[in-house]
Amino acid sequence: MSFRIGATVLLDYNGKNALQSYNFNTKRFLGSIKNVLSFLNSYEVDEIHLIIPVKGKGESTYRALKDLKDIFISTPLSIGGGLNIDSLEEITKDPYFERLIFNSSLFDNHEVIKQATLKMGRQAIVGSVPFILQNNKLKVYNSRLNKFINIPDDFWMNLNLLCNELILLDADAEGNKTGFNFRVLEFIKFPIDRVIISGGISVKDVAKAKKMNLAGVSFDNSILHSEFSVEGLR
Amino acid sequence: MKILLINIIDVGLGNVISVEHWVKSCQLSSKRVTDVNQLTNGPIIIPGVASAGEYMSRLKKLKLDIEIINRCQAGQKIIGICLGFQILTNYSEEDSGVKCLGLINGITKYNKDKNTHNGWENLKIDTRKIKSNVSFPIKRVKKIDGRVYFNHELMVAIEEDAASHVLNNGVTSYSFKNNIFGFQFHPEKSQKTGQDLLNLII
Repeated sequence: MSFRIGATVLLDYNGKNALQSYNFNTKRFLGSIKNVLSFLNSYEVDEIHLIIPVKGKGESTYRALKDLKDIFISTPLSIGGGLNIDSLEEITKDPYFERLIFNSSLFDNHEVIKQATLKMGRQAIVGSVPFILQNNKLKVYNSRLNKFINIPDDFWMNLNLLCNELILLDADAEGNKTGFNFRVLEFIKFPIDRVIISGGISVKDVAKAKKMNLAGVSFDNSILHSEFSVEGLR
Repeated sequence: MKILLINIIDVGLGNVISVEHWVKSCQLSSKRVTDVNQLTNGPIIIPGVASAGEYMSRLKKLKLDIEIINRCQAGQKIIGICLGFQILTNYSEEDSGVKCLGLINGITKYNKDKNTHNGWENLKIDTRKIKSNVSFPIKRVKKIDGRVYFNHELMVAIEEDAASHVLNNGVTSYSFKNNIFGFQFHPEKSQKTGQDLLNLII
């Protein structure tokens, strides 16, 4: 199986615009999501992760879905951000996405993930874990609370039971090219060949991740500001 | 001029939209089929992204199972993608065991360690080698050479002669036999290689 070079794109609630984010907090509009997806498709990235940054607002992806379906794209797509039973119903009615990305449900709503597994299969379930390392301690982000928290006791066990793959997002490095903090992998209790890293990914990081046999990397919105030869990175 | 209309089975499951986009990207036309009476004589595509039990149950409810079998036996092209490929076999282990369409002699099973298979693999098809396995003239394309996208948990084990390819991990990547084409990968999400494949078999 080949190492994957993907892209993570933040999407506004209406599903029309891509958003820029630095260090997990600053945002501005980057332009039409249609254009962004079209050129990522032309780059032939291996997959695109679309994330709606709900950040405690409890919004659902429901509204964002309708317009996206008209976008002509032949690259695998995942979506996440505020997925709940209603948006899941909408997605599985006429699925346009290969995979679903969950964050806050990993902590407090396993039922929606189980329903998603029944409807789309286990291969479709991806956990998203933005993290920070503070005083040599790992803290993970819960989007419903909109804060980084200590890891609950059963977190890794649930993650392994519920998710097929894991996206680890280095929140401190997001939107920059400072490099991904690989030290996080010392804290992770999840099969490393099913981990995708994101946030601050540099060209060196791609080579390192590949050597470590990770599943892949996902460039954050920095990819939208630079010319990347995806073929070259492979 | 008669326009070839590709039938895309739509039982309310499966990534029908992506398949529609794929067909359109090859300058071909398609229609969604939600009822047996809507089927035309064009190729029939059974999409993926669902589970076998629920999918077969809906096919049966709409009587599309019998109709697809009859049309396949009459020579109409059938294209199964991912789950659509798996339900062409006799039986699937998914959902505690499901009787499938039986158009391909084989079964669909979990791999030994129940791992999923996500990502891209290289695909090479020498079209000269599949000529004798299919019941239609192969277009003047010597080979398909590119990358294709896999995203699945179960896999097909074929128990008959067919032009097929098995990956190192035991996954049957594709199978061509007569008028039946099965792809475990997602050609509709495989960028240019996917378009080349559709142009080859339609």
